[in-house]
Amino acid sequence: MAQSIVKVSHLRFGPAHKPILDNISLNVEAGHFMGIVGPNGAGKSTLINIIAGLTPADGGHIDLMGECLTRYSRHRLLKQIGFLHQLHDHQPRLPMRVSDVVAMGLPDYAMPWQFGDDKKAILEALTLVDMQELTERDFRQLSGGQRQRVRLARALVRKPKLLLLDEPSAALDSVSQDRLFRLLRRLCDESGMCAIMVEHDIAAISSHVDSVACLNRQIHHHAMKGENIPDDVWRAMYGEHIQIVAHDAGCIGCTPGSQEANHE
Amino acid sequence: MIELLTSFLASSVMSASLLPALLIAVVTASMSVMVMAHRLSFLTVGVSHASLAGLGIAVSLSLPLLPVATIFSVAIALLLALMPKRQGISEDAGTGILFAGSMALGIVLISTATTTRVDLFGLLFGNILTVSADEKLWLYLLASLILIIMLLASRAWWSIAFDAVTAEASGLPVNALRLLLYGLVGLTVILCVKLAGIVLTAGLLVLPAACAWLWGRSLAHLWMLSVAFSIIGTLAGLIWSYAYEWPSGASVVLALCGLFVISWAVHGIRAAIATQK
Repeated sequence: MAQSIVKVSHLRFGPAHKPILDNISLNVEAGHFMGIVGPNGAGKSTLINIIAGLTPADGGHIDLMGECLTRYSRHRLLKQIGFLHQLHDHQPRLPMRVSDVVAMGLPDYAMPWQFGDDKKAILEALTLVDMQELTERDFRQLSGGQRQRVRLARALVRKPKLLLLDEPSAALDSVSQDRLFRLLRRLCDESGMCAIMVEHDIAAISSHVDSVACLNRQIHHHAMKGENIPDDVWRAMYGEHIQIVAHDAGCIGCTPGSQEANHE
Repeated sequence: MIELLTSFLASSVMSASLLPALLIAVVTASMSVMVMAHRLSFLTVGVSHASLAGLGIAVSLSLPLLPVATIFSVAIALLLALMPKRQGISEDAGTGILFAGSMALGIVLISTATTTRVDLFGLLFGNILTVSADEKLWLYLLASLILIIMLLASRAWWSIAFDAVTAEASGLPVNALRLLLYGLVGLTVILCVKLAGIVLTAGLLVLPAACAWLWGRSLAHLWMLSVAFSIIGTLAGLIWSYAYEWPSGASVVLALCGLFVISWAVHGIRAAIATQK
């Protein structure tokens, strides 16, 4: 049995009368690639931020790599986590080379005695995202998609046991999106990394991930590969007005007949 | 020109003030990189003006000026770091409130002080030429402390400036490091008061990195350029001050402004040529 990387038990966040997250329980093992889908305001980013140790939960328990996440263990545990958050500041200001940005992801980057970065690790991470030709380029001069790939390299350079991604494909075209999901799939399979990714578009991720958690305050359904997501789960998440459209039969949540791909 | 330089270096007043001025140039240039990266330009204006209250308290109670002003400036800077989070007040509004209130308190205290030893013009606009032995010692201590902390924390601060959320998710104590940075800005402000005075201090803490920003390609590169611009500006300003008997602080800030205009214009022309090609 693979090692448990993230174990969330009865997690709660927000005011008791109107919680943002309520009774969330998950167990994700090494090598597992999980997608989290849900409508706006469902608490997807909040859940990722809580697992990343950025926001303390109001109730429940989180184990990372078999160790309880507390304010004391946080620093040590987070060194094994890669994190790619939702983009807010689209226009970077600081003069930095691509390799400098990736170096920031190294576990000991900020240590005062750290002189000279691990260039081999930086090049490896950039090669993973196909940006190895641009190591010396000014980060500000890259396109939005290129910047996002560099940010992903920054998250990967520490060779994390757990990679948390909050809508990583937002700045990417469909080809780059597919390449990103394939890369994440490969890293999970080959290195045993566990990835948890928030995405809006289940159709884009469903053929790559091992499971999909449908979240809207609570986890309404956790579908494994090949499993159908019932219509009532979609309606519970998005309301009665959604259109359920038939889609590729080989992905999670999709079986021939009335299956979901787009929700409006 | 050579005659002017020879005479400048031979002057006992100038040679005595040269080392402190260059030390201030190196420290402020280093700090200005972080001030620009963390968008703290207005904070430096606020803290420098607020330090007048610290000086006013020192004058009223006949306490040593620089130590009291140092404690006051660091306290104000830390208060500015904490106030927005605690009370929901935006940082610029908080800075404006403390800036105006402290400056008003400082003016009242100094104007009502019975002592006549206060050089108000020197406090407001700086005069490195009158630096005393005690002040030099205080300046060297502060400068060493600031440079050591800068060396230890610069990569963490740079990482926070680039992406604070990811820095925190990497395990960096972002809030504690921010407080340290704000406190250090307070210390640096006091360091500058002797050279540029309360009114012009922000110039020393913004202009060197602003000149370098257009050319820097990495933290180390930016830092070196910022120090180079700062040293050139300080030397040019002191020589002007000596040649035309201008106030030293204003001359240095004017020289740095001139360097910024040149740097900005050359960068613009270069970018225009590159676009045409």
